[in-house]
Amino acid sequence: MSVPATDRTANNEHTAHTVESLSSWLADRIALYLKRTPSEISPTVPLAEYGLDSVAALSLCGDIEEDFDLVLEPTVAWDYPTVEALAGHLVEELGEMGGENR
Amino acid sequence: MAEFGSFAELVLTRSDERGDKDAFLFLADGVRGKEPERLPYRNLDRAAKDIASWLQERGLAGRQVLLLYPSGLDFVKAFVGCLYAGAVAVPAPLPSEQGQHFRRVSGIVRDARVGAVLTLAEHAPEVEAWLAAEGFSDVACMPTDQGTVGDADAWRDPALGPEHLAFLQYTSGSTSAPKGVMVSHGNLLANEAAIARSTGNTPDTMIGGWLPFYHDMGLIGHILQPLWLGTTSVLIPPVSFLRKPARWLELVSEYGVHASGGPNFAYDLCVRRVTDAQLEGLDLSTWRTACNGAEPVRAETLRAFTERFGPHGFRAETMFPCYGMAETTLLVTGTPKTRGALLREVDAAGLEQGTLTGPFLGAPRRTLVSSGVALAEDFEVRIVDPETLAEQPDGRVGEIWVRGASVASGYWERPEVNAEIFGARIAGQEELGAWLRTGDMGVLGGGELFVTGRLKEMVLINGRNIYPYDVESAVRGLNPAIGAGAVFAVDTGGQEHLVVIHEIRAAAAGDDLKSIATGIQRHIGMEFAVPAGSVLLVRPGTVRRTTSGKIQRTLMRKLFLQGAVTALHSVLDPSVRTLVESAAAEAAGAAGTPATDPAMAPVG
Repeated sequence: MSVPATDRTANNEHTAHTVESLSSWLADRIALYLKRTPSEISPTVPLAEYGLDSVAALSLCGDIEEDFDLVLEPTVAWDYPTVEALAGHLVEELGEMGGENR
Repeated sequence: MAEFGSFAELVLTRSDERGDKDAFLFLADGVRGKEPERLPYRNLDRAAKDIASWLQERGLAGRQVLLLYPSGLDFVKAFVGCLYAGAVAVPAPLPSEQGQHFRRVSGIVRDARVGAVLTLAEHAPEVEAWLAAEGFSDVACMPTDQGTVGDADAWRDPALGPEHLAFLQYTSGSTSAPKGVMVSHGNLLANEAAIARSTGNTPDTMIGGWLPFYHDMGLIGHILQPLWLGTTSVLIPPVSFLRKPARWLELVSEYGVHASGGPNFAYDLCVRRVTDAQLEGLDLSTWRTACNGAEPVRAETLRAFTERFGPHGFRAETMFPCYGMAETTLLVTGTPKTRGALLREVDAAGLEQGTLTGPFLGAPRRTLVSSGVALAEDFEVRIVDPETLAEQPDGRVGEIWVRGASVASGYWERPEVNAEIFGARIAGQEELGAWLRTGDMGVLGGGELFVTGRLKEMVLINGRNIYPYDVESAVRGLNPAIGAGAVFAVDTGGQEHLVVIHEIRAAAAGDDLKSIATGIQRHIGMEFAVPAGSVLLVRPGTVRRTTSGKIQRTLMRKLFLQGAVTALHSVLDPSVRTLVESAAAEAAGAAGTPATDPAMAPVG
């Protein structure tokens, strides 16, 4: 069994992040933590409804840091409680980072 | 190894012997490419004497001292400072870390009659505010990270004996009724010796890990075991591991760690979250003992972890399923170092009847993982019928009873509970004296202990002890329309799942049961750090109670698994739903009639 990393090169170029691409990344990760299939994770259903807990919230922040070089507080998963809201927040944060780098 | 009168005497001796050798290395953030903070034996000794002199000066020798620290070396100095002072350390999680609030710590301050709180300067203002708000006006708060607090040269050896208390371990008991296990210096010395015997640890063993310091496994295994051995331990905060599980493996690889442990979920997290890229260049071949205890040990996890990390040097014999608890200081049984974990397939129906039989061709089976053996020098283990208190033969399931020099004398100021739990007698063998009732169910076979479940209603998930009563009261506090509840765990084969059933006054709640259920899930996920994938809101009167009003959680669990709990609104984890559907179908088949209520209608 192996866990492939998402393509790091693509992720580090902050050009192509969209709510759609990040939603699909988020659904994959959340399904992994909560032992579901990504197709079960609806973008508009609160993550709490899938049993999100603070260990999973920390896991998510760790993976965001790893793949996007973006450090977030674990409360983010509660402040932006759905995949859609979280993806929107990530797009904003990543956009700001891209802007700062220019 | 020389005999010591107390753990304080042991640390004093180690400090003399080891001098500038590192006792602890700490990496606050990340492992690879980071420089660790170092604490040599000499410096630990000096810092501890400083803190101890302050405690002695304040008349706190023999008193309880609460330690509220984030993960880090200041905790270790303060803990050893308490030992040196002859004070009784009371480690607790720093509130605000991981959804823990001051409520639980307030209960501990009251129960333990704490005389002072030691913490860091950055947390002192909030700690002082909390102490004032709770009316603990006579409890001093002292930050220990801003230079010296006392005078190390004024420190006096408290001349402790093995009977003196070293610390109170508050991992037992609910928030409303916390229970502190009284661990004496003698218990500590005995259990550290037992751990070394069972694991084969030596003064050359490099220890390391990420476990919380206020938890028995982290404190006894990763902090006090290295001091007992006189070796070095390299530590990272739990949050660092949870954010990126690969850091645990990096720690083993970079520092050549030989012994490191965690609950089963930690191994599972590694299997699921460590990527191929993160594994590049990692060498796990130094790892000799990977303790796996504190929650049920899963055969699938052992197999998957060994398979996944075998190519990086992890050996099957390294996996060390073990069994223990705060009441026994820590370790009771461990896997013999001459071999890997013992897996035993048994007949599932036989196990439900309390017997190890089979496996039989064509019949459902279950794989049990042995938690290893107790060494005769350290522990005696018996299986006892929890009703008749009669000893059970090999192969029969019953409650696990233990005794030995590591077993604590009881819970702090709980004489009635102690007589029952720590002073139990086996029927017909009363002359043998007192045993500890562990509340865990298990079976012995060929000297190996297999833990099969729990007698107590406590739930173990993510390495945490979850008390149903705590969850139920927290849920009731969310909305006045929420009534009595029953919280329990079900096992879907690979995992324990929390199931939350609460009564709801639908009229008062309005139509929005769905958002009430989500609110419950969110609250439990945040505050208890466990997934609440399954919540059922039911009509008042559905949650069964005894005539004296006690919630019948075991009965509710049984009804739930039979599909006999009707919900007004429910959300079920898919694997729990599958379990209920198959169990309900089986029950229906056995009875020859349809189940009373063919599972709950899945919602959401």
